[in-house]
Amino acid sequence: MRRRYPVAALAAALAFGTGLAAGPASADVQMQGVTDNEVRIGAFGPFGGPVYLYGKLVMNGVEAVFDKVNSEGGVHGRNVVLVREDDNCKPEGAIAAVKKLAYDQKVFAIIGGACSNATLASVPELEKSGIPMVVNSAVADGITDPPKTNIYTTQLTSGVESRAQIDFALARGAKTMAVVRMTDAWAMARYNPLIAYAEEKGIEFVENLELGVDANDATPQALKLKGAGVDAVIMILYPKPGAVLIRDSLKIGSNPLWVGQTAINDFVAFEKQVGVPDALTNFVTITATAFQPSDPEVKDWTDRVKSLFPNDELSVFNMNGIGSAQVLVEALRKAGPDLTRDGFLAAMGSMDMEVDVYAGPIKCSAGESHQCNQHPGWLALEDGKVVKLQ
Amino acid sequence: MEYLSYLVATGISTGALYALVALGIVVIYKATQVVNFAHGEMFMLGGFFAYTFHVMLDWPYLPSFALAVALAFGVGIAVDRVAFRPLMQRQTLVSVLLVMIGLSFVLKGVARWLWGGKGDYLTFPPLISPEPLSFAGIMVMSQQLVVLGAACAVMVAFALFFKLTRAGRFMQATADNPKAAKLVGLRTDRVYMYTFGVGSAVAAAAAVLMAPLTLLYPDIGFMLFIKAFAAAVLGGLTSIPGAVVGGFLIGIIEQLAAGYLHTAMQEVAAFIVIMIVMIFIPTGLFGLGRMRKV
Repeated sequence: MRRRYPVAALAAALAFGTGLAAGPASADVQMQGVTDNEVRIGAFGPFGGPVYLYGKLVMNGVEAVFDKVNSEGGVHGRNVVLVREDDNCKPEGAIAAVKKLAYDQKVFAIIGGACSNATLASVPELEKSGIPMVVNSAVADGITDPPKTNIYTTQLTSGVESRAQIDFALARGAKTMAVVRMTDAWAMARYNPLIAYAEEKGIEFVENLELGVDANDATPQALKLKGAGVDAVIMILYPKPGAVLIRDSLKIGSNPLWVGQTAINDFVAFEKQVGVPDALTNFVTITATAFQPSDPEVKDWTDRVKSLFPNDELSVFNMNGIGSAQVLVEALRKAGPDLTRDGFLAAMGSMDMEVDVYAGPIKCSAGESHQCNQHPGWLALEDGKVVKLQ
Repeated sequence: MEYLSYLVATGISTGALYALVALGIVVIYKATQVVNFAHGEMFMLGGFFAYTFHVMLDWPYLPSFALAVALAFGVGIAVDRVAFRPLMQRQTLVSVLLVMIGLSFVLKGVARWLWGGKGDYLTFPPLISPEPLSFAGIMVMSQQLVVLGAACAVMVAFALFFKLTRAGRFMQATADNPKAAKLVGLRTDRVYMYTFGVGSAVAAAAAVLMAPLTLLYPDIGFMLFIKAFAAAVLGGLTSIPGAVVGGFLIGIIEQLAAGYLHTAMQEVAAFIVIMIVMIFIPTGLFGLGRMRKV
């Protein structure tokens, strides 16, 4: 009997403590991370590893926007401060990062989520915490479909892009299509909706081929595509395997319509990566951004990113961060000086704005569509110049 | 027939790439009995050194090439001094392997810190025209022929080095029996040091030649290392000609597996080869293990 006392005492203490904590927390949580002169925003994504570009560089873009906003007096007099957490692109890392940002760092909202699998894994924790989240890199549809009260994305999702790829090939009159894909989580998040949409449209791919992310050669794939006489190839590839595939296809005299997606949307860099003159005459790709990093329209951002991060050359990764941060800042503005979570989410839920870098407007609809970017832009090369297709 | 010819020709040119990397692995293993798990990162660093001089600083190709190779030689020597020598003095081979694996991660991190932020895959200009060439009716990338020629040249140079020079014989003697080599007055620690330097320099030379084909990024080293390690294991870890033959065989096996079985096989063929060789011919095609047993 004596042993029960400590257990009972501990349980009572816990219950008392929880009860004490629950009352004020539910009131405080609305303004968590907000003071008179600053609002703290969290970010999570990989700082290192092969996909650090989707984490660190995107965060650098976010920070560039916050720097600009702060230099102009902040939002309703509050400076916007970014708190970064490394998730190593791993599910357990993302869950830990969300917990740390929500309960330890006590940020007001989170912007980020780089890797689809990691971000998907963090969704239950995000919902549990109720913290507003603006996704800016992860593309998996499941993060925001079905809609979650506190999660919005400004990135084109995998389903939107996959459907657009097939629609584009059909619009160009392609009768026979093939798909060449990687097999990691990023690629599967695109491949599954692609296959579902192809079935819906009654399309059967004449070749369904794999290519490794580190591939240095794609001759077998190129020979199979040539042998099948495909009109269009849907590419679910990163730039390196994409460049190798086009290079090796050109080598054997095959040049169908190549349909890329946002992973290959720095057209100038990609042309150099293929490394063969006039290689991209039949290549089109989806872009989330309205401009190429070298375009004069984004020179201000180029300069700002360079001044803050001297090692960065402005890239589409930075630009994704810039676009999403502009949306977040606009929601902070619309929420007014008495900033609360509910006010911010209401502002996000009715967001309708143009952003400096995105190809189309950002439109969110609370409870209906939290995938706020539905406008893939298309890029092609015409007369040696990158042009946006209508 | 054209299909098969393309696969074999491409296998040979891709195999030359693996052979060049495998040469460095074998040279270090031959002298030290240690597999340098950071060898892929030496390759990566060599490529980034050349990128810095040739692309970022706009220096001419040859001085950039030479300086990248020289710097990689220095990094190899530093690896010996910092990681290999202190641990080998305590005779902890497992520790050396673990440190090499750790070093590979550190070097990748350093590369991201120094060259990250400039995009995802960096391009490097080819030595000669990027246009494909017709070779006996088969189209090949001209840069692949450069890599093929370089692999053959480096192989011959190493064979001559080990056969004809004192330093080469010292390395052979140290590899065969380090204690005996020490007893007869060879400075084995110096032999190890230069071996790491030479191995890294070869990796850097390979990187500069291959960069137009492979592109440059901090993680380029790992998969190339695995493929090259498979080549070295297949050829026999102690044989320089074996590394070259192994490289070509891995290249051809990958192509045939992808061409005739499934394209997914292209990535895993090297791993399957490592398993089969370790089970059925653990000394590799040209290895010396069996001779030692007799």
